[in-house]
Amino acid sequence: MVIITLQREKCIGCNYCVEMHAERFRMSKKDGKSVLLNSLEKKGFHTAKVRDEEMDFAQSAAKACPVNIIQVKQI
Amino acid sequence: MKSTVELMAPAGNFESLMAGIHAGANSVYFGVDQLNMRARATMNFTLGDLEEIAEICQKHDVKSYLTLNTIIYDHDLSIIKTVTDKALEVGITAIIASDQAVINYCHQAGMEVHISTQVNVTNFETVKFYAHFADVMVLSRELSLNQVKKITSEIEKQQIKGPSGNLIEIEIFGHGALCMAVSGKCYLSLHTQNSSANRGACIQNCRRPYIVTDKESGYELEIDNEYIMSPKDLCTINFLDQVVDSGIKVLKIEGRGRAPEYVQTTIACYREALDAIAEGTYTTEKVNAWMDRLATVYNRGFWSGYYLGQELGEWTDASGSKATQKKIYIAKGQHYYGKTNIAEFKVEAQNIKQGDTILITGPTTGVIQMEMPAFMVDDVFSTEAKRGEIITFKLDERIRNTDKLYKLVPNE
Repeated sequence: MVIITLQREKCIGCNYCVEMHAERFRMSKKDGKSVLLNSLEKKGFHTAKVRDEEMDFAQSAAKACPVNIIQVKQI
Repeated sequence: MKSTVELMAPAGNFESLMAGIHAGANSVYFGVDQLNMRARATMNFTLGDLEEIAEICQKHDVKSYLTLNTIIYDHDLSIIKTVTDKALEVGITAIIASDQAVINYCHQAGMEVHISTQVNVTNFETVKFYAHFADVMVLSRELSLNQVKKITSEIEKQQIKGPSGNLIEIEIFGHGALCMAVSGKCYLSLHTQNSSANRGACIQNCRRPYIVTDKESGYELEIDNEYIMSPKDLCTINFLDQVVDSGIKVLKIEGRGRAPEYVQTTIACYREALDAIAEGTYTTEKVNAWMDRLATVYNRGFWSGYYLGQELGEWTDASGSKATQKKIYIAKGQHYYGKTNIAEFKVEAQNIKQGDTILITGPTTGVIQMEMPAFMVDDVFSTEAKRGEIITFKLDERIRNTDKLYKLVPNE
């Protein structure tokens, strides 16, 4: 299992995460910031538990993020 | 006599906003959330602050300009509308834009638009084109004053008017950071860190030292300055008469990422200089004094940009600031006794002495710079106060408990 966390408040809307992992990330049409699909929010941190197959894509998104608001953890 | 040139101050937070207003700015510019060229800055305003900013500016009779000048993607189109509508509703004077999507939406919505320097306006025909949408245009930083003057005279001669029906006003940068890229269109930060300068996320890697190596031979090229991509800061105060003579109507000071005392000092100097030119009292002695004051706050060394037609840029030889002064945190604001005009602070860091140059800054107070007057510790006059002690002194301006007191010392 892989846990992806997004701290979306600090997002600058560059679209890199969507380019890297389109299945999991979308740009919000409402505020232009990144959205982590199927996630739960707690105090500004959005978390999604996903399958191991997503690891590489999620890591690419985390690495590409210019404001370092995406974290990926294997559990 | 007051100058007719509008002096525009940068505001990265409420401290800087107040500092700019108190120091004599006619207008201020700022960004909210992500779609501005300082989106990465931690101290950015949010959309929720817009109403308060507009209110403060209206109260002080200062124009307010909201920057919405990054490149825009499709997923931003809705937030542009939200921000513009909010700005219009709360009474922000204008939006500074570069993307045609923003320019067009503002125009449709009846919001005044100013064309950002990001558009790289370098000739009169382009001015004519954008006159369909905008009343004020910031010219490219790379033009010479002769080229600027040609554009302003053509506007006058051909009577080029904006949507408001008034002649187009030309704005240029007067002071602050410059970068190596033409009108800030830079790929360096995106290339190394995926962090696009054109989305307001420049990580300023051009400001670091670099070594140039010939890969074939392995030899390092002899370059006498490692900061080969970092220009010095623009300063025009020593030829501001020529700047005013070029026919510009707005003088912009760069520095939304800089401290409130930077805004205060810079705006105060340029205010005095502009008014001195209007009064005919602009002298070399005054210029020297202003230059000394400007050097006390954050700077990378000064040069005159491209305005006087230099062929090449001048590059800084330092990674950070060459400011001649630095501030040290001393005390936190506690209370202001309005009837007796007494300010109370709690010393939380280093010692403070009577006669020290101090700086008081805060979101409502702005910036107050003064000499530390006679003060009391526990109701007894004292010449020095230590950490933990409560000090009180006479101060005509109100302070708040969000204010901080700093000591200014020479930067060695």
